Amino acid sequence: MYDVVIIGGGPAGVAAGIYASRKKLKSALITKDFGGQSVNSASIDNFIGYKSISGADFAKVLEEQLRANDEIEIKDGKFVVSVKKIGDYLFELTDNDGIVYQTKTILYTAGSVYRKLEIPGEKEYEGKGVFYCSICDAPLMKNKPAAVIGGGNSALEAVIDLLPYASKIYLIVRSGIKGDAVYKEKIEKESKVEIINNANTKEIFGDAFVKGLKYQDSTAGEEKTLDVSGVFVSIGWTPNSGLVKDLVKTDIKGHILVDSKTQQSSMPGIWAAGDVADGLYAQIGPAIGEGIVALLNIYDYIISEDKK
Amino acid sequence: MIKIYSTTHCPYCKMAKDYFDKNKVEYKDYNVEADEEALADMVKKSGQMGVPVIDIDGTIIVGFDRGAIDHVLSHKK
Repeated sequence: MYDVVIIGGGPAGVAAGIYASRKKLKSALITKDFGGQSVNSASIDNFIGYKSISGADFAKVLEEQLRANDEIEIKDGKFVVSVKKIGDYLFELTDNDGIVYQTKTILYTAGSVYRKLEIPGEKEYEGKGVFYCSICDAPLMKNKPAAVIGGGNSALEAVIDLLPYASKIYLIVRSGIKGDAVYKEKIEKESKVEIINNANTKEIFGDAFVKGLKYQDSTAGEEKTLDVSGVFVSIGWTPNSGLVKDLVKTDIKGHILVDSKTQQSSMPGIWAAGDVADGLYAQIGPAIGEGIVALLNIYDYIISEDKK
Repeated sequence: MIKIYSTTHCPYCKMAKDYFDKNKVEYKDYNVEADEEALADMVKKSGQMGVPVIDIDGTIIVGFDRGAIDHVLSHKK
């Protein structure tokens, strides 16, 4: 039986894994891969300790530091398919290979998944002109017009990823740009970027591949069409909390509600940290901090429960 | 023969190549950003444009799906 099983290998999970190992807790970390959403960044320039590091390199750094710790069992290339509470101080997890883990506590750091527009054509054209990973797929827009949907940092990064390739970039924003001023200033200087405000994307259309999209101008109310070969959807993320939604309380979007001092969820024995938890800011720094806080609190909890 | 179709900065392409390297699996990398013929092959094989696309002796895997890669490799041996 484990003291703690950590689900997820992003910054929060890895930070907690290192602390669990150093506390010599009987622990395991189950993850598909390392880095979480941060792997999608071409360059991370706001993580304190590195002037600049690519998301892929950051994922490697996380994995290497975790692997330098012997006490924790690292189950990578795997994902958890079910979480059950089977006793007062006992949970049972099953992974995708059918392996069962019994554990006293769970730290849930499963992050989030790309939020979808959920409009006609989005699913049909996924990979056929509808993309979510701009750093991966921006180069396929060489000399072609493309649109980015969204107004946050990931949307602005998508525009920047497209700059060297696309012939024209439409940034389709529903209610104003919310991303960092440094990004905003950079893209406003580019003549091939056209920012369309107050626009609700309604439909993506094409033949075998995307040919364009329709949006509604929310001030004038009229529907307009743009001819584009690619639509990069960057409207944020949805918390990946489905596995535990029947065990813990979440907010309306699915973020797991946690105590801000301890990261403990509404269910004794389950903690959450990083983007899946209801912290205000989805950033690497806070995710690491939350992972550490959660693990230290789990340690205190185990010490006191084991005495009972 | 394993072929991987990738772009220069795509993290999942890099993760896939690292995974093959770690497991001493040989592959040929096609950068579709620079190689239009490879891009056309990739689109034809996978019916879509997202990277990475991995072709293991004709079995096409879209994305870095470790489970699918392991499955195909274990049946290959």
